[in-house]
Amino acid sequence: MGLKHRGIIRLGYVRIGLNDRALVRARGFYRGILGMLESIVEAERTYFRCWHEAYQHSLVIDETADNGLIEIGFQVRDQADISDFTKKLRAAGLKVKTSPAGKPLKGLGRSISFEIPGGQTLRLFEHMEQIGYATGFDSPDWVVPKELRATPAPLFLNHVGITVPNPKQTVDFLTQHLGFYVSEKIVSDNGRQLLSALLFRMTKDVGGQELAIYPGEAGRLHQIAFTKEDANDILIDGQYLRNDRIDIDQYGPTRQSYGKTFSLHFYDPFGVRLELCSGGRITDPHPDFEPVVWTESNLKKALSYYDRDLNPRFLEPCL
Amino acid sequence: MAISRFSYASLNVQDIDASVRHYTEVVGLRLVDRTKTTAYFQGADNQDHHCVIINQRKNAGLDHVGFKVNDRGDLDEAAKAARDHGLAVKEVKAGQIKGQGRGVRITLPSKHDMVLFYEAEKIGYLTGMENPDPVPRQEKLGGKVTHLDHTLLSCEDREPTVRFLTEVLDFSLTEKVVDPTGGIIAAFMSCGHTMHDLALGPGPDGSFHHMAFGMESRGEVIEGVDILKETDTPALEYGITRHGVAGVTTIYFHDPSGNRNEFFNGAYLAPGMPNEIDPIVWQLEEFPRGGFYYESNVPQSFFETVT
Repeated sequence: MGLKHRGIIRLGYVRIGLNDRALVRARGFYRGILGMLESIVEAERTYFRCWHEAYQHSLVIDETADNGLIEIGFQVRDQADISDFTKKLRAAGLKVKTSPAGKPLKGLGRSISFEIPGGQTLRLFEHMEQIGYATGFDSPDWVVPKELRATPAPLFLNHVGITVPNPKQTVDFLTQHLGFYVSEKIVSDNGRQLLSALLFRMTKDVGGQELAIYPGEAGRLHQIAFTKEDANDILIDGQYLRNDRIDIDQYGPTRQSYGKTFSLHFYDPFGVRLELCSGGRITDPHPDFEPVVWTESNLKKALSYYDRDLNPRFLEPCL
Repeated sequence: MAISRFSYASLNVQDIDASVRHYTEVVGLRLVDRTKTTAYFQGADNQDHHCVIINQRKNAGLDHVGFKVNDRGDLDEAAKAARDHGLAVKEVKAGQIKGQGRGVRITLPSKHDMVLFYEAEKIGYLTGMENPDPVPRQEKLGGKVTHLDHTLLSCEDREPTVRFLTEVLDFSLTEKVVDPTGGIIAAFMSCGHTMHDLALGPGPDGSFHHMAFGMESRGEVIEGVDILKETDTPALEYGITRHGVAGVTTIYFHDPSGNRNEFFNGAYLAPGMPNEIDPIVWQLEEFPRGGFYYESNVPQSFFETVT
């Protein structure tokens, strides 16, 4: 039956592993400095969410021997989508692993996981437990909860950036098999080579990307981005982060022409690149949607409209 | 598949020349095309042909709202589903509405017409599709509107339309205002992940309450209020304010025929599976804080004045 939103409905979470005994430093940073809420705290895993998010988690951190990206989770509409994707992905030659509800993460329904051509693992799940909005469901004050004030306290997980050795192969896979749309892309000056792309499935505020694809090593994380209301908030957040001696990227607060966001990039104590962003593209998940095209010689303007230089550190993966 | 976005509002105005000045020089939209009796506008950041159509008519108000679907087959399916639901449906031929393909026109239980269509002519973003500047040139007049975001329509009984939109067209109910018996006074519904694309409030059937234009920052909303004052555009007396519902920074004002417009900024998402997250419920006695957060008072004119 049509007239239903189907397939991937939303970006659910990103899960990373950090070499951090009992996650003491990680929790100190993500709860105390970034201003996320802890949903579930286990000996070797913590589930976090933003205060404006109703679902159980949007960030999961595991204690692991090596720092790394574990998986990115997307929610699909229902069991039928899980079955459809399983069939299609297997037909495309991928190894698809099925997990029962509650595995590997608490609160997830039945899910499948697989490796995309770029080397990262994606998990598609059809259900996630809800905790509810931090401000409640009854005539709420949509105001940052008191315990999170004087932190960035982002509103939502916005997008996840990854690096892949062959961007075209990864982007083709994501658009053809998972239904993603491209909102912007960077190509070589002769137009023949795809270097980077921003992909979306959602019509949202601060829109245009749930996955950002950059050229680089396989299987690695480039950044995790969170939604903020506007640029002024981000300027103030930069003050809180600097006050806490957080490592802020040399671009500082800037307009990122690529993606049309106002952004601030910074690093957690383990070197994970994080971003606060506002603005974004107005998109439409429709086959006729046309992406913005950047050519490689405009890369400086694309990455920072204000700085107009190439920041080599920014081009590297972080985990 | 499904409705992919709230695309445009087609409004009736009494003086088309004054209205063209309003929507370009005050609101800050691009004038895409115009004839003697009709004009088409688009925001800086939408790539389709129009987000507002104005038609020269005797009375102000809504002609119809336009929503885009992302599968051609959705049009026939929606027409059938609407007829099965007991609603009147009319065919809209390709080109009958400039800049868009074939559509189906459904009269909602609230007596508002909704046109669903699949194809839109592309005009691109204001700053272009190749290596674009992230902000428009400074000579652009009017508010720094990026896009048309949502509309609020008024009707006698909200529930039948809420049922049709959520059960048949896969909208999500994200927030509602209820009376002491639980009856819906206002309903906020989304066909994507923003807090609302279409809202319903109390008033005569078929009437138009407002349409809202998004901006990227609260600073731009402040600038927008300054433009309204500078141009003597009739606006809500509160100046800049915040909605408790949706938690966005906002100002309401009127076009020369009285159709209400809104500038707002905010990043409120309700990203979930359609109708999976329970709606926020506002009790009527709390609604003044929901309407206007700083003032906690809803002026009587707010619901009474519709076109």
